[in-house]
Amino acid sequence: MNDSQQTSKVIARVAFLTSVLSMFLVSACGGAAVPQDQLTAAEAAARAAEVGGAPNHPKAALHLKYARDQISEAKKLIEEDETELAAAKLERAAVDAELALALSRVENARAEARAALEEVEELKGQTE
Amino acid sequence: MNPIVRMTGLLVTSLGLSVACGASLAPRELLDARDAFEQAKHGVASQYALAQLETAKQALQQAEAAFRDGRDEAIVDLAYVAERQAQLAEAAGELEKANRERSAALEEREDTQKDYRKRTKAELSAAQRELEETRRKSEAAGAAAAAELDAERVKRLAAEKKASAALASLEALAQVKEDQRGVVITLSGSVLFASGQDKLLPIAMDKLNEVARALKDQGYKKIVVEGHTDARGGDSNNLELSDRRAHAVRLHLVGQGIAASQISAVGRGETVPVAGNETPEGRANNRRVELIVTPE
Repeated sequence: MNDSQQTSKVIARVAFLTSVLSMFLVSACGGAAVPQDQLTAAEAAARAAEVGGAPNHPKAALHLKYARDQISEAKKLIEEDETELAAAKLERAAVDAELALALSRVENARAEARAALEEVEELKGQTE
Repeated sequence: MNPIVRMTGLLVTSLGLSVACGASLAPRELLDARDAFEQAKHGVASQYALAQLETAKQALQQAEAAFRDGRDEAIVDLAYVAERQAQLAEAAGELEKANRERSAALEEREDTQKDYRKRTKAELSAAQRELEETRRKSEAAGAAAAAELDAERVKRLAAEKKASAALASLEALAQVKEDQRGVVITLSGSVLFASGQDKLLPIAMDKLNEVARALKDQGYKKIVVEGHTDARGGDSNNLELSDRRAHAVRLHLVGQGIAASQISAVGRGETVPVAGNETPEGRANNRRVELIVTPE
């Protein structure tokens, strides 16, 4: 197993835990508690997307930006004691970060496939 | 019907309709979520990402429920999440598809590489065989050339040996020296001729036979036979005598196989002494026949 595969496994695990955690938190939160764990989870998901290469792919980068912007908004809302609104923002942020990572992984896989096929063409060209 | 009543009825109806419409008008986010889910449902997610599609469906149902229940404050966020979940399902499907394509591509690359290595290896060994063959051929050619060179050398050595042997035998018979004219073989006159005669003595013939053999062995381009006398007697007599003697020697050598076209004779008389004519020894040295040989 190579490094990039290892990394993507770790990222997948982080993303999974994040989504499970955020789902649990959403159902748990409803009152006035500060959604600290949800904030942590959303930030972790955004980091995972960043490490997974989201900034390198336009569509993934866009969703990563949405995630980051909404995390910032949520932080502001937390300061203003608007915890319920903050939780909703974080929910959105988490799902955007997840989408950013997924889109990035799609692009990575496609790029790898393209590179392999290019190599195939090159090798075929050399032997002809 | 009273037009006023009719008018009022119409107004009430349209009012009622507009109220109903206002209540059933879904927000943009929900419409987007529905579109996204429809797209995911009919795309690759239905083939490769059923679990994620189910999650997206549940998210959409939550948003729809909020819409039905009129929980306006929740609709937008739930619809937003539902839309993203649908997009996630689609991305998951795309990922699975891309992964499969990647696996196929990697496999194809592996096969091609294997094939390439095999072919390259075959080409390499063919090249090595060719190289080996070329080397073998050149070695053989070299050996042949060396053998030829050796044969040449052996031949040359043999020739040199023969020539030096001939020279040695000549030296035993006569005085041999080299000067600018070539190799000069000096035969003593007293050995060749009786006093005043131009007829070769029998012993001289034997000696000349050996000289002829040695000359033939050594090889020659041109031979000049010169006759010389001492200073006693008349000049013209001496010149004539030396000439006759030179010709006698030439004739005998031709008889022994020296090529007539390559040998000439000339009398020098007393004009080229090699010693003083005052003493018997000096005069004896001056009476002589010289063979001047231009080597091959």
